[in-house]
Amino acid sequence: MESTFPSSSELPENQPQPATEPAAVTPPAPEAAPVTPFAPRTDLSHLSRHADAIRQELGKVIVGQQALAELLLVALLADGHVLLEGVPGVAKTLTAKLLARTLSVPFSRLQFTPDLMPSDVLGTSVFRPNKAEFEFRPGPIFASVVLIDEINRAPAKTQSALFEVMEERQVTQDGTRYAMPAPFVVLATQNPIEQEGTYRLPEAQLDRFLFKLTVGYPSVDEEVAILQGHHAGFGGTPLEAVRAVVSAEDLQQLREQVRRQHVEPKLLEYIARLVGQTRAHKGLYLGASPRASLALLNGAKALAALRGRDFVTPEDVQYLAPMVLRHRIQLTPEREMEGGTPDDVVKQILQQIEVPR
Amino acid sequence: MTAVCTFQGLLRGGRLVVLAVLLWLAPGAAASGQSLNQKPDTVSRSLPPDASLPVRLRRPAAARLSELRGQRDFRYVEVKSEQSDWSAFFAPFWRWLADVLDTPAGNFAWKYGFYAVLVAALVFAVLKILQVDITRAFGRAPRQAPLSFDTETEDLHGLDLDGLLAQAEAEHSYRLAVRLGYLQVLRQLSDKGLIRWQPDKTNHDYLYELPAGPLPEAFRELTRQFEYVWYGEQDDLTAADYERVRTTRQAFQRRLTPTRQAA
Repeated sequence: MESTFPSSSELPENQPQPATEPAAVTPPAPEAAPVTPFAPRTDLSHLSRHADAIRQELGKVIVGQQALAELLLVALLADGHVLLEGVPGVAKTLTAKLLARTLSVPFSRLQFTPDLMPSDVLGTSVFRPNKAEFEFRPGPIFASVVLIDEINRAPAKTQSALFEVMEERQVTQDGTRYAMPAPFVVLATQNPIEQEGTYRLPEAQLDRFLFKLTVGYPSVDEEVAILQGHHAGFGGTPLEAVRAVVSAEDLQQLREQVRRQHVEPKLLEYIARLVGQTRAHKGLYLGASPRASLALLNGAKALAALRGRDFVTPEDVQYLAPMVLRHRIQLTPEREMEGGTPDDVVKQILQQIEVPR
Repeated sequence: MTAVCTFQGLLRGGRLVVLAVLLWLAPGAAASGQSLNQKPDTVSRSLPPDASLPVRLRRPAAARLSELRGQRDFRYVEVKSEQSDWSAFFAPFWRWLADVLDTPAGNFAWKYGFYAVLVAALVFAVLKILQVDITRAFGRAPRQAPLSFDTETEDLHGLDLDGLLAQAEAEHSYRLAVRLGYLQVLRQLSDKGLIRWQPDKTNHDYLYELPAGPLPEAFRELTRQFEYVWYGEQDDLTAADYERVRTTRQAFQRRLTPTRQAA
């Protein structure tokens, strides 16, 4: 069979700029389904169809935030948890709830408060007098999509309860291991740490989040669209309009497809160098862990798939690097006093490492 | 009745008399008491020296003296301040400075120079707080943290791309040939000043750098082909496939030639 190159009209016009804030940049244009130049190796139309369906459902309620929606999809496909940070009122919780509604999987919501106990999250063993034995009563964490609202309102003791379940997808209680359902995704929201009555999340927990996404304010046009929708009467029961369009089985299939994405060996080295440089950077007190490398790899594979490619490019890695690394690194006090941010350091590191080609 | 009154009057009068007698006696008693404590006055006379007993000089033991001499508290040595060589070296300068500052012009400079330094320090502090990078103001490159390891930067301009490309084609290493051909194009674009070559830039960064016209679209197509073949690990590229890639690349390179001639 004679193979053909994709024509310009068939392929994406725009590529995302690297290392940009999702909310602050023009969202990357969804790529048209590409025709592989020689022989189609992976049929990504199934994935593309489902992703479009989720985007469409989210778009029924959420105005703008396309980049945020895409990154949430990436996390979903990469089997990762997401931490959404932003000031109150920028639709963090709403977006997370809507994403959960697009999936026909068990959903649970936890409102973290300062007096929340680990057993309130994981569950507890209760004594059954009629059976004369203890019985485990699962907590709200036992769901496929768990929305933890205001996660930084709970102290470290409660946060620690999430370590095992977020990484190993299981809960151990009284010597018994309880596996979580598949898929299992934690979508957590938090206000910036400077806000009153919040705690800093433990580093071990932060490392378990695939992405930390900073949700910014909408643009003026987007805010006008929000007002117009509200003024026109929309907003009574917005959640009702959103349907479940992807099943748990579908999601597992899509994830399997993402796992099979091609990654050129030099790109693996590129990822390792990027993450490795965070451990030696003078402005950083704590660098990123190997888990960050894995997160960057898995995220890049999912992003490439969403953009219609069955291979990863350096742009994918560069685009996701800030979201993957910003919560895993810690600035030195000097750097912090100078007003530096983790994103600045990530940007600097990206400029220092040669792009493989 | 009259007798009673007379008796009370006598009694009151008697009290007064007793009081008066006591008051009269008090200074006398005090004076007599004092006289009992005091010695009687004597005439002070010096005694003659007693020559019968020899004068015995008492001296501390030699060991005790030696011990005391060893203690720091008993070293009554006057410390003479000596000028170090360093101070002596700078002494003429300080003398000269003192002379200069002692003049009216010097006083003026000292007074306003101090304020100038104060203002400069304030400006520097404000710039630091506002995080203004002033290194460029002095023609210096911005500070960058050094890399912790050696990066294997490929010297695009140092490679013999033509030779390597011919070799890859001859060996039917088509995937490698596509890569070398793409690098050749990047080098040409860099040589013509159409892009600014930097190792950290991606292919799409270069795409955005190209001037408006037909070049960006052609370069986009070329980039797409390169990415599909190289990053997509198309190891099973056939000769026919490669021929199409080469045709596209050569067409792009021909477009670059008139640009140079026009320039």
